[in-house]
Amino acid sequence: MITMNPPTPSRIQVRPGNPNEGRQDYISIRDFGFWYGDKKALDAISVAIPERQVVAFIGPSGCGKSTLLRNLNRMNDLIDGIRHEGEITINGRSIYDPGLEVISLRRRVGMVFQKSNPFPKSIFENVVYALRVVGVKDRALLEEACETSLRKAALWDEVKDRLEDSALGLSGGQMQRLCIARAIANRPEILLMDEPCSALDPIATGKIEELIHELKAQFTIVIVTHSMQQAARVSDRTAFFYLGKLIEYDKTEKVFMNPSQAQTEAYISGRFG
Amino acid sequence: MDKIDNQSSPADAARFDVRPMTLAVDRWMGRLIRFGGIGVVLAVFGMLAFLIFQIFPLFAGAKVQSVEPLLFPAGAVAFGEDEYGEVPFVCLADGTLHFQDSRTGAKVLQWSPNVAPRRVTAVRSYPRDGLVLLGLSDGAVQEVRVSYRLAYDASGTRRSEPVVNAAEPLTVGDGGAPCRDVWAAKNSGGRLFVVRQSLAGREHLTGLLLAERKGLGGKVRVTPGQPFPIAADTVDFEQVLVPTTADSLLLIRRDGEVRTYNEAGEGFAFLQSFRPFAGAADPRVTSAGLIFGNVSLVVTGAEGQQHVWSLYPQLQPDGMSLRRWGRIHEGSVLPGVGQGVYAAEGNKCYLALAGGKLRLHNMTTGSLRWEGEAGAQGFRQVAFGRNYDRLAALDDQGRLLRWKIEDHHPESSWATYFGKIWYEGASGPAYEWQSSAGSDEFEAKYSLVPLFYGTVKGTFYALLFALPIALTAAVYVSQFLRPQFRQVVKPGMEIMASLPSVVLGFLAGLWLAPLVDPCLISLLCALAALAPAAIFAGYAWSKLPQRVRRQVAPGMEFLWLVPFVAGCAWLAWQAGPFVEAACFTVKDVGTGLPIADFREWWRQTTGLSYDSRNSLVVGFVMGFAVIPIVFTIAEDALSNVPTSLVSGSLALGASRWQTVWSVVIPTAISGIVSAVMIGFGRAIGETMIVVMATGNTAVMEANPFSGMRTLSANIAVELPEAAIGHTHYRALFLGACCLFLLTFVINTLAEVLRQRLRERYKVV
Repeated sequence: MITMNPPTPSRIQVRPGNPNEGRQDYISIRDFGFWYGDKKALDAISVAIPERQVVAFIGPSGCGKSTLLRNLNRMNDLIDGIRHEGEITINGRSIYDPGLEVISLRRRVGMVFQKSNPFPKSIFENVVYALRVVGVKDRALLEEACETSLRKAALWDEVKDRLEDSALGLSGGQMQRLCIARAIANRPEILLMDEPCSALDPIATGKIEELIHELKAQFTIVIVTHSMQQAARVSDRTAFFYLGKLIEYDKTEKVFMNPSQAQTEAYISGRFG
Repeated sequence: MDKIDNQSSPADAARFDVRPMTLAVDRWMGRLIRFGGIGVVLAVFGMLAFLIFQIFPLFAGAKVQSVEPLLFPAGAVAFGEDEYGEVPFVCLADGTLHFQDSRTGAKVLQWSPNVAPRRVTAVRSYPRDGLVLLGLSDGAVQEVRVSYRLAYDASGTRRSEPVVNAAEPLTVGDGGAPCRDVWAAKNSGGRLFVVRQSLAGREHLTGLLLAERKGLGGKVRVTPGQPFPIAADTVDFEQVLVPTTADSLLLIRRDGEVRTYNEAGEGFAFLQSFRPFAGAADPRVTSAGLIFGNVSLVVTGAEGQQHVWSLYPQLQPDGMSLRRWGRIHEGSVLPGVGQGVYAAEGNKCYLALAGGKLRLHNMTTGSLRWEGEAGAQGFRQVAFGRNYDRLAALDDQGRLLRWKIEDHHPESSWATYFGKIWYEGASGPAYEWQSSAGSDEFEAKYSLVPLFYGTVKGTFYALLFALPIALTAAVYVSQFLRPQFRQVVKPGMEIMASLPSVVLGFLAGLWLAPLVDPCLISLLCALAALAPAAIFAGYAWSKLPQRVRRQVAPGMEFLWLVPFVAGCAWLAWQAGPFVEAACFTVKDVGTGLPIADFREWWRQTTGLSYDSRNSLVVGFVMGFAVIPIVFTIAEDALSNVPTSLVSGSLALGASRWQTVWSVVIPTAISGIVSAVMIGFGRAIGETMIVVMATGNTAVMEANPFSGMRTLSANIAVELPEAAIGHTHYRALFLGACCLFLLTFVINTLAEVLRQRLRERYKVV
């Protein structure tokens, strides 16, 4: 097995011209290892994700990119027999801080899943769910948040006349955009997307990619994708994982045009994976 | 490819053929499954059809068919017959008896009394007792016994041969006047004779009691008493009714007043008088008859009214409750002036003659069983067969009109089963189930309402106990408990479901009920403490710092909760006696000392009963039978909610409880409804537990400390002792049919609700 030194955060350059640039190590993953029982899924990962940028995790199936993503909002907590080492901080604070409620972490870090999972409720109730659980009862506030989120998710025009209809009557692409609207309704700071377009047709995928471009202005986005083209199109930075290890992490152009690692090149040119 | 094409030999092409066996099995399995499916549907409908077939006769009316009348000499005043109506006889005014074979019309026997020099001036026949009473011209009474001897002629056909025995005349009335009418009655203490005479233009009634005492050898010693006047205070009476019980007497006066007298020492004392039609334009009582059992009187009026008066306990002004006559029913209006009321033998039916019509009514339910042409202007005497299978009436021309009655369920009507009925002897209309008693004159009561009530009550208490536990346990186990514990809990609960209900019933009735009895308050305190303790434990847990809570893995919180809740329940249990002493101290009825006893307190404070086998015990144990089913189905439904929804909710920052409440439960609601409904069905049809642990009293009380009787338990308890084809038997089937319909309706409603919910909360 080839061992590589992961790139150190200090080497990361900010893309010039991004008006939203912020803290460089907004999400900082340091020497992070993760086990499912005895099986080691992640090994000494170190990644620094800058604020308001899109970072794509790519790699063949089983490489650990989803596991890492799901650790960022501690969705893995529900699984039995997990263990981790190393540290993940968001804006300088460890997400494993004993004083930090996992619920408040998840309010800060929204997530969109691979398979759209609207609740069996109305479109409106789906969108405002995150606000409802925080305890917002003011109908006007909820309606406003609903409209804002749906507009941001580019779904407003399609559903504005049937907000009280069941969300399950939407098409696949609409459902996924609804899930995005739902995830951003309570204005999280980070949006995790776990292969959000894998079940969608190209038109719906295109809409979601446009959406990601727009959302970048406000959110830090981490996206896991199997589509190299998608990673190239939407992300500012790309991390390539292989067998639980981070092989390469750099600006997207660099990774795709001029990868520093042979494995990266082999993967993006389609020779394995 | 070429190779395969080239080798298309017959042997090779057979590779694609389907073996005949496969096709045959497929076809036959298809048929078998279709047969099974249709069979299930047919079985259900067959069951319903069987039930309906069994209960249908209950609601069929009476069939009464006229039979060829028998012709006797004109001037017959009374008649009698044997048990089968084969050899009826009539009595002429002079006391001569004419016997006739009803099949051939042949004269069988003629018997004349030998009372010279006296004459027979009054005749009364009691067909049921085989007694003809002759009143003589000197106020004496002669008993004539008519019995039948079975004989077989040469061809082997059975014949009834009448045998007539006349006793020595008894002096009852005044020797100076002829008897105008005679009556006889008999009870366990002796026999009563009453004669009616006209003396100096006044009507007189005289009675004589013959005390009968059975000696050790079985020989009856008869001691005649002295004749005594009856109702000397009353003049102007028209009709006299002497109940066959020989303990009372009713006089009906021309002005419509009914006067009743009761046996009092050597004689009869006035009891009560009433005017049944006091408000009517014509207040006369045109005819009256005592109904079988001698407790109820049917009176008819000039305008066709028919009222039923009965003896029942009534509160007197002085606070005593005494049996007095009171009106209990107002029957339908007859088609003319009531001309006669004739009671049936063995049940509460009577025949009313009015306007040339005969009407067969049931006194209790007021239902009209049959209506037909009388075929005569008036009747001298009307008698029902002993088994309520025949009816015979003697008209003025000596014709004996006869009818065959086919009425197997005379007491049956919708009101009998579902309505409030005023049974005779009761102090008001009531829903009552009482199918048997020790006496022949007892009227069975078949109201299904108390059984419905008991069923609903038992089910309510069972579900009250079971549903909160089963549903919250299902939510907890499916959503909060660690999977490794779940793998233990779920099969454990399923084993609980397999406990035979007879074992649960046995435990409830013989072990739990006596155990709960003395420490009821402790138990209630402990139960009441559970929910607040659990809520407080949860609240306290949520207030603990994150650091502490981290120490316990998710799904292991019960390690803290269970000891805490158990401790609270224990404390509440210990506090029970103090609570009882503080709140439920009453004065003991026997000693007058204050005692702390909830049972006594309940009885004295609420006036309701307290049974050891009460609804709480039943609810508790039936809950045990219901919990596993509800739990298992609800848990399955909750576990089947896709994890993607749970993850989606958690990722949005919802707590676990918020996730369960607003995502998991709505999504699983159709399954939960199914679980509740199946639990409901189980509770409503549950039999053995309620048979053994309820006391089986068909009372209608919301009182949680009284027992009940459910439809299912009623069937289980009474079907073995019900005679096939009898009203009781069919009433039980009616109960079964109601139970069937009840569960059918509820299951259908539940299914509709479930489908709606499923439609609404379906998952992609």
